[in-house]
Amino acid sequence: MSSSSGLTFKLHPLVIVNISDHYTRIKAQSGSASPPPRVYGCVLGVQTGRNVEIFNSFELHYDATQNVLDRAFLESKQEQYKKVFPKYDVLGWYSTGSDIQDSDMLIHKALTDINESPVYLLLNPAINHAQKDLPIAIFESELHVIEGVPSLIFVNASYTIETVEAERISVDHVAHIKPSDGSSAATQLAAHLTGMHSAIKMLNSRIRVLHHHLVSIQKGEAPYDHSLLRQVSSLIRRLPAIDSSRFQDDFLMEYNDTLLMTYLATITKCSSTMNELVDKFNTAYDKQNRRGGRSTFI
Amino acid sequence: MDSLDALVAQVQGFSGTDDLLHLFSLLKQSDELLHNHAPRLQYALSSLDPAKHSLGYLYLLEVQSSGTLSQEQSENFLALASTFLNVCIAEQICLAPEKFNMVCRRVKEQALQLQEPLRAILPLQAAIRKLQPSSEFLTAMHADFLQMCLLAKCYKASLSVLEDDIFEIDQKRTGLVPRDFLLYCYYGGMIHIGLKQFGKALEFFQHAITAPATVLNAITIAAYKKFVLVSLIQLGQVPLFPKYTPPVVQRNLKSCVQDYVDLATSYVTRNIADVKGYITTHEDAFKSDNNLGLARQVIASLYKRNIQRLTQTYLTLSLQDIADNVQLDGPKEAELHILQMIQDGEIFARINQKDGMVSFQEDPEQYNTSAMTMRLNLEIHNIVRLAKKLTSVDEQVSCDQVYLSKIGRDRPRYETEDFDIVPQKMYTNL
Repeated sequence: MSSSSGLTFKLHPLVIVNISDHYTRIKAQSGSASPPPRVYGCVLGVQTGRNVEIFNSFELHYDATQNVLDRAFLESKQEQYKKVFPKYDVLGWYSTGSDIQDSDMLIHKALTDINESPVYLLLNPAINHAQKDLPIAIFESELHVIEGVPSLIFVNASYTIETVEAERISVDHVAHIKPSDGSSAATQLAAHLTGMHSAIKMLNSRIRVLHHHLVSIQKGEAPYDHSLLRQVSSLIRRLPAIDSSRFQDDFLMEYNDTLLMTYLATITKCSSTMNELVDKFNTAYDKQNRRGGRSTFI
Repeated sequence: MDSLDALVAQVQGFSGTDDLLHLFSLLKQSDELLHNHAPRLQYALSSLDPAKHSLGYLYLLEVQSSGTLSQEQSENFLALASTFLNVCIAEQICLAPEKFNMVCRRVKEQALQLQEPLRAILPLQAAIRKLQPSSEFLTAMHADFLQMCLLAKCYKASLSVLEDDIFEIDQKRTGLVPRDFLLYCYYGGMIHIGLKQFGKALEFFQHAITAPATVLNAITIAAYKKFVLVSLIQLGQVPLFPKYTPPVVQRNLKSCVQDYVDLATSYVTRNIADVKGYITTHEDAFKSDNNLGLARQVIASLYKRNIQRLTQTYLTLSLQDIADNVQLDGPKEAELHILQMIQDGEIFARINQKDGMVSFQEDPEQYNTSAMTMRLNLEIHNIVRLAKKLTSVDEQVSCDQVYLSKIGRDRPRYETEDFDIVPQKMYTNL
């Protein structure tokens, strides 16, 4: 069932990073005991009218055996965050797991004294390579009549990810620090260059589309659109960013340095192939008795 | 006579591309016939068109030029052959490469006999291009062509042929023998010496030395003598034999060229008086090998090398000091030497004429021009192309029967389950 409250949710990546970090830490601390325990915490943000924007989060102490939420801790944390971020309110809470559980509703109700209608953010920590979307779901509580009994149930709400420039840089950085399985510098360089290559390829294809469109405008096949042309013109004027003679000198010097390194690398590779070739030729066609102590090689 | 006419008619008739093979077999059989009718060949030749009936023309020419020719006959032959080589059709003559090679060799001999090597240059160049499937192939005419250019002192004419990198050798298509290859390297090196491109000359001589061989060859020895001298001029020392030098060469070569090896050892001491003295005492030996000019250039290079070593120690030096250090006759001569070196780009310096001081400078190349970018780009492309060729040759050698059997033979030394790559029957066959 999807939400009918009409609220738009915006999620910042910091929250996602926080939750996953919390979960990973607890999982590592609990050792290899399975199943890994659930983690709980609060989410903070700003609600303006219909817009709910979730900026930050912090952890909560929850005793799963006794189903007791540490209220004192929650309140002290809330006060501390209020001092630093006066604008942020507690908007709801988060937890990890693959699906909603019944105990969640109790926690949800417990939080209603802080926020009348809290949101519930669920992160699914199971790694699923086939799944393309983020394993995050946001739930709201609504009063529905089921079998004649009005009860609160969770309903799914849609959300979008919102980033600020600073967040984009940090997320990018975090994403690059952890390569897949301890790959060496060579594969990291290859991965970096592949990313660069695909980015440039995409840029190239976009520019080609624009160019094609402009040519067809020139020929008269497409309608003459002033606003589009203005945008294209402003885009083109953004480059070259610097164009002084000193820049040219420095740029060419660095470019030539890189070319020299590539040259050196190709020469080295060529020399090594040549060396192997000579060795093989010598073993094959050398009439001398060199068999003593020569190891086989491919 | 009728049979000759019949043959001519057949040549004219069959020179279309479909019947070429048929014509070829006919011509092979009629060799005897052609020899018998030698005096009438001139008439037959005039009735054939070299541009269309190249194959038949080739056979007739070859027979006509066999044996000794008088002055007039050889003039005639040379004229006919020159036009023929320029206009013949490549596909037709590729069917008979040995005959073609023989005709070209005759051209060379006649040109030598007439003392006019110049006349043979252009026809031979055309012949090379016609016989080569692509510019990377070596033909038997390369050596003759280079020899003509050397004798006629037309080094520039040979540049287009010399600059092609040779990658392929195909004996069936070009009728090549190893001697041609060695001569090609030797003459190529000499032409580069004439053009003062000592680096390239070194390459060529090294190819001649490292060519696979089972016995020592006079060409190899001559090439090695020049190699020693040129490497002293260019590098300052004689490099060691590379890995791929055939062992017979490695063991025996030095003993045949003792004079040159001693010259090399005295050069390394950088003592000009010693080197000069050595050359004057052994002048006859150098002269008999036609290497006296090169030996004199060795002395000149020693001066240059000493001056260059000074740049590494001093920032400025007076002309008088330079002259003393390098054992020149005086500051005037030192100035001349340094001016020449600056012009050749071997040194970067400024001469202050007022107080006779020379200040040595760094290479002003900053590597920040787009011209340098283009050059680097070009070089990288060249190397990538070369690397591709190398890997393909490498693969060829890896798949070679001889190679696989040789490494297969070492196998019993190791446990059999380690190396499954070479199947058992590969090396038990030998």
